[in-house]
Amino acid sequence: MTLYILPKEQLPVFVDKLKADFRVVGPVKTETGFAFDDIKQAEQLKLDYPTTILPPKKYFLPQREVLFNYHTSINEKGARQIDTEPVFQDVQPTIIFGVHTCDMTGISLYDKVFLEGFKDEHYLARREQILIIGIECLKPCDDASFCKDMGTLTAPPVYDLHMTEVESRYLIDTGSEKGEELLQKYGEVKLATTDDIRDLSRTLSAKWPRFRHRLKMSRDQLPSLLTINYGAITWDHLGERCLACGSCTNVCPTCFCFDVQDELDINMQDGQRTRLWDSCQLHEFALVAGGHNFRESKASRIRHRFMRKGKYIHQVHDILGCTGCGRCERACLVNITIPGTLNALHDEMQLDANPAAG
Amino acid sequence: MLGTMTPLETTTTPRKYNGTSSIYLPTVATITNAYTETAMEKVFTVRLPGGENLNHNPGQFVMVSIPGVGEAPISVMSSPSRTGETFDLCIRKAGDLTGVLHDLVPGDQIGIRGPFGRGFPLEVFKGKDILVAPGGLGMAPARSLIDEILDNRDQYGRLIVLYGARNPAEILFRDTLREWRGRDDIDLLVTVDHPDESWVGHIGVITRLFPRVQINPFNTVGITIGPPIMYRFVIIEMLGKGLNPTQIWMSFERRMKCGVGKCGHCQVNHRYSCQDGPAWTYAEALAFEEAL
Amino acid sequence: MPAKPKIAFFDFSSCEGCQLTVIDALQTHLGLLDQVEIVQFREAMTEKQDTYQIAFVEGSCTREADEDRLRAIRKQAAVVVALGACAHLGGVNSMKNRWAIGNVQTYVYGEKNKETYPSYPARPISAVINVDAAIPGCPIDRFEFLHIVQMMLQGRVPKLPDYPLCVECKLSENACLNTLGKPCLGPITRAGCNAICTTYGDGCEGCRGFAPEPNFEYMREILRGHGLSETEIDARFTMFNHYQLQQMGEDAPLSPEGLQSLNGELPTSTFAAPKEAEGHG
Repeated sequence: MTLYILPKEQLPVFVDKLKADFRVVGPVKTETGFAFDDIKQAEQLKLDYPTTILPPKKYFLPQREVLFNYHTSINEKGARQIDTEPVFQDVQPTIIFGVHTCDMTGISLYDKVFLEGFKDEHYLARREQILIIGIECLKPCDDASFCKDMGTLTAPPVYDLHMTEVESRYLIDTGSEKGEELLQKYGEVKLATTDDIRDLSRTLSAKWPRFRHRLKMSRDQLPSLLTINYGAITWDHLGERCLACGSCTNVCPTCFCFDVQDELDINMQDGQRTRLWDSCQLHEFALVAGGHNFRESKASRIRHRFMRKGKYIHQVHDILGCTGCGRCERACLVNITIPGTLNALHDEMQLDANPAAG
Repeated sequence: MLGTMTPLETTTTPRKYNGTSSIYLPTVATITNAYTETAMEKVFTVRLPGGENLNHNPGQFVMVSIPGVGEAPISVMSSPSRTGETFDLCIRKAGDLTGVLHDLVPGDQIGIRGPFGRGFPLEVFKGKDILVAPGGLGMAPARSLIDEILDNRDQYGRLIVLYGARNPAEILFRDTLREWRGRDDIDLLVTVDHPDESWVGHIGVITRLFPRVQINPFNTVGITIGPPIMYRFVIIEMLGKGLNPTQIWMSFERRMKCGVGKCGHCQVNHRYSCQDGPAWTYAEALAFEEAL
Repeated sequence: MPAKPKIAFFDFSSCEGCQLTVIDALQTHLGLLDQVEIVQFREAMTEKQDTYQIAFVEGSCTREADEDRLRAIRKQAAVVVALGACAHLGGVNSMKNRWAIGNVQTYVYGEKNKETYPSYPARPISAVINVDAAIPGCPIDRFEFLHIVQMMLQGRVPKLPDYPLCVECKLSENACLNTLGKPCLGPITRAGCNAICTTYGDGCEGCRGFAPEPNFEYMREILRGHGLSETEIDARFTMFNHYQLQQMGEDAPLSPEGLQSLNGELPTSTFAAPKEAEGHG
């Protein structure tokens, strides 16, 4: 909406001011890389980070979340009684700094999943208190990135503020009124001049050649590619390799599936119903009480994951379920990659069409 | 050191959110009656607070909770026509939650969420001949539909029920079946896969019953509810009778954790069984690579 | 209020570390004693009753005399629970099964004393008696212990996570040790410990047993990538799970030399050098 400039040396001041009124989280250096974590000191915030193991989705859907507390008892007639009280966990004014454009795409999908149809009040309660400050990606995180293929190199409209590093300053775009207020109240910002905007344009147009394409097809073709290849032999090959460890889905910015479990206090009366991240790659995910498993083989589970990413989610929410962030590729110990798999399907199809080519 | 990041739950204090409740919070209901149906199934009568009507359709399900144990989807056995202040659930002891449920007695409270999902579209069924083919525990949701039709008998055409159970001991609702057999406005055939000495009825899988009935394929709706191994073959029989895929309705069982289209467990292709199902036409199911 | 179930603890070949964890659990969750009555627990108390409903058994069966004791426990208890890796899997004790038992006795007790202590290949208690539930781990996880006791008190069948450790490790946002050059059996090991070792930087050694769908072939491939020899990979696979691999027979995912070890045929030359053994002592 409106472009401002914040001199780089002013960033810690901005962060410190925000910390007075918000929980501020963002990418920080860990022993082995980077992770989103609470910013205790402004200098911890590293906006020039490659990637994190878990995306910021953990602030929208915590790994373990209490849905309600319960108390069970036996009344004077010996009957089992139940009391419940809903819990809205981690609801507090929160600012998430340094969200990459791919991860913002993930958040926009989360918003659709949890707020369309039945409204998930637990998600909504947290979501309403979260402000997103994006950071423009000027170079790929590493070789696993394929954001350019997935069209996530441009920020989707979920940010409140979006920062682009331009030489000695950040150009900040306001994406919402809340973002605008945040800048006015906490930031020492000035309106961008024509010179600033010219520099911004130059920075943005210069970034594209730094990103490479990894897919042999366009993302628009993914739903049809996957439809045609439902019975592809590629799935069986992947099934042999797969460790069924669920890492690919746990680190995915768009995976949202969860399990629901009851925890019980030692008094055997009180407890919490919780939801926990779950993975369609695990054996039990589609198992029903009678013992029938709708996705018994690892091949069928991997296929389901790809179908969701490239087809099913698109059918329901009109955006692809893959952001090209590359996290699943980094997490996979047996080198199952999204570009590699989609390209293999593409090749298998070419081979089917023209057997002589093989 | 690794793994030293700030724990994520920084606030866990219970609080109401804008005074609203939660889609995951069950209504506390009371069991008013319970009886043993077979060695594996019990029927529970459940009353919502204030005797509120469940307002469900045949084929819909509720999420049943025992806090401290968990929650599971259970089809409603009562027909809407027989649902007033209470409704019935026929529950097979098949897993963790249902095992504990079987120990509950009248007066005990349970949690109920729902009804959820798309049931059978009675408006579509009205005026038509109805061929219902449940297998095993599928008789419980089928009962909801059959009772609904019997209670509004003049609104439907013929009613044919073909029921298959594994063995005589697993046949549900024996008294009711006897009563149906005595009526002239319902055709009932029952078969068992494995008879015992006492069994004098049909023997063999449910598909063996189909040659024994004739239907008008232009004005019949076929409905099958049961495990995948059964409905796959029943559908072939229904197609063989000349029904087209849009005239055949089926109900899939899937693992469900939320009932509200979020948790991902019951996904069939891009649809959620808990929202868009559990009742589907065979034509819809054909479009799902995963369903059949 | 029905009487509290009586529970008893027993130890076989083990370090008693799992029972220590139970004592730890009682420090933090004393309320457990409102739910159960402990009637026998040599590690913690001197009083002793021989009537109990639930028996927790730590340790593996490593000699003939153990069998009678196990059968006596089974006869008394309505529910028998294997407590920890030794009882559940055979555990580290089963490492000795890789060599002929006589050679092991000589190595451990010396030529003079080898007859003093009878011994035979180590087995989990389930090899001798029916076991109703297992609490895995070396040692057990106190929260899992409490959870499983609670499930039994609710009349439920205790259930373990049936997915690999990687799930819990990722949820803790740990960097994967296998990508940092540290061998880790997490991808083939049953979760439930909340990834405690890997969270503190130690590769998983598989003490909770194999996950239900272990991909041994690709696990070996990953370990080869760390520069481990086939023999070293065998050693990691067999550290806690030798007995399980023994049960797989020729299908065990071991090298040809490792397969030899299943029948206790490894040469004594592969014993650890005395110095090395001392260092670990």
